[in-house]
Amino acid sequence: MKNMQKKVVAFLCNWCSYAGADLAGVSRFQYPPHIRIIRIPCSGRVDPLFIFNALKYADGVLVAGCHPGDCHYTSGNLVARRKFALIKSLLDFIGLEEGRVQFDWISAAEGNKFAEVATKVAGEIDNLPQWDGWGERK
Amino acid sequence: MTVLENIKAKAKELLEAKEVEVVIGFAQGTLPGKCTPYFARTTEEVERFVWQDGCNLNLANYLSKFSGKVGIIAKGCDTRSIINLIKENQVNRERIYIIGANCPSMGSCHNCRHPQGVIADFYAEQVQLNNQDDFSDVEAFEELLSEERKNYFYQEMSKCIRCYACRNVCPACYCKECFVEENLPCWLGKTTDLADNIIFHLTRTMHVAGRCIDCGACVRACPMEVNLSLLNRKLLKDIQELFNTEPGLSLEAEPVLNEYKEDDPQPFLIGGEESV
Ligand code: SF4
Ligand code: SF4
Ligand code: FES
Repeated sequence: MKNMQKKVVAFLCNWCSYAGADLAGVSRFQYPPHIRIIRIPCSGRVDPLFIFNALKYADGVLVAGCHPGDCHYTSGNLVARRKFALIKSLLDFIGLEEGRVQFDWISAAEGNKFAEVATKVAGEIDNLPQWDGWGERK
Repeated sequence: MTVLENIKAKAKELLEAKEVEVVIGFAQGTLPGKCTPYFARTTEEVERFVWQDGCNLNLANYLSKFSGKVGIIAKGCDTRSIINLIKENQVNRERIYIIGANCPSMGSCHNCRHPQGVIADFYAEQVQLNNQDDFSDVEAFEELLSEERKNYFYQEMSKCIRCYACRNVCPACYCKECFVEENLPCWLGKTTDLADNIIFHLTRTMHVAGRCIDCGACVRACPMEVNLSLLNRKLLKDIQELFNTEPGLSLEAEPVLNEYKEDDPQPFLIGGEESV
């Protein structure tokens, strides 16, 4: 029951991962209900602030965009990639658990991959120690 | 001639010839050992210039305050910030005259790799040899347990009073409207609660990533002695390791987060590199 209150925010690119989530739904692949999806125009739109801010309220974050080479805007995800590498490393540096913020590439055709990734990520976040919401939750 | 004499002679020459309207440098501060930015507009005012330990602010920040042609006395980090500002179209190369000199405050930033100017129109002294930065401070922190790292980070973040001196003094932070002040939408809570402080600092660090040149101006400006350097330098180390580059060294190279390579490393992916 405890996990029911947990929340995972998923920032999904409109052109691929969001459509992948849609396909998962249409195909009736199950994925955990406490993943809350926020549609973004491209993984390149993910300001680091989105991720840091989401962690004030949620227990974890998933960011997914088009596979390299498949970005609707050609290079949005390629530029984002460098940023993601730094964000992940910075969060690890300040002591965040490995699984709390995760990134992946998921295409519009990969409904099953979306369901798998969502299940895996949510499961890992559920199993982490209670998150403190950057010290907001006592 | 000493460095200072060279600097003064060049500054006078530029002002007399009306090549520049002002020369930005340092004068003696009101506290012993402190120097303050100084804007010389006449040859008499040039006499007040000093070049000594304590001249450690990043003067590049002042370039955008003038509309005419400006001379600037620049040490290593100033010139690296200037390079970034030129590349980001914040400063016009034609409108500045750079008097390069080695940083006289060596010792205040141990590890500094570039005490000498990276670009200059005139060097007031011989170029000095580079030091090596081994990022040993960052590495020592990486060695700690994650819980220790988190505790230290939270403790540093709780000290911040959100005066934004660190942002104001930073030459990489030139946005006319900063996310910290925006209200619609309100990207960031305005309180000094731990969470708001943390979100501010993580975002600040990311916003200057690839443009921060570790001049330390933010650290010196901070009244609460928040260890901003640790975060800035962590990303400098990552940028070096992941993308094999150092910000602010070349006018030609794109800022590291503005470009990409097909085979950039993807250590952040679920399952690591291979999962693509
Ligand atoms: S973040 Fe600090 S060290 Fe980096 S450029 Fe700005 S003032 Fe200098
Ligand atoms: S200068 Fe120091 S106290 Fe002021 S906002 Fe920056 S870190 Fe916080
Ligand atoms: S459009 Fe999907 S990542 Fe750019």
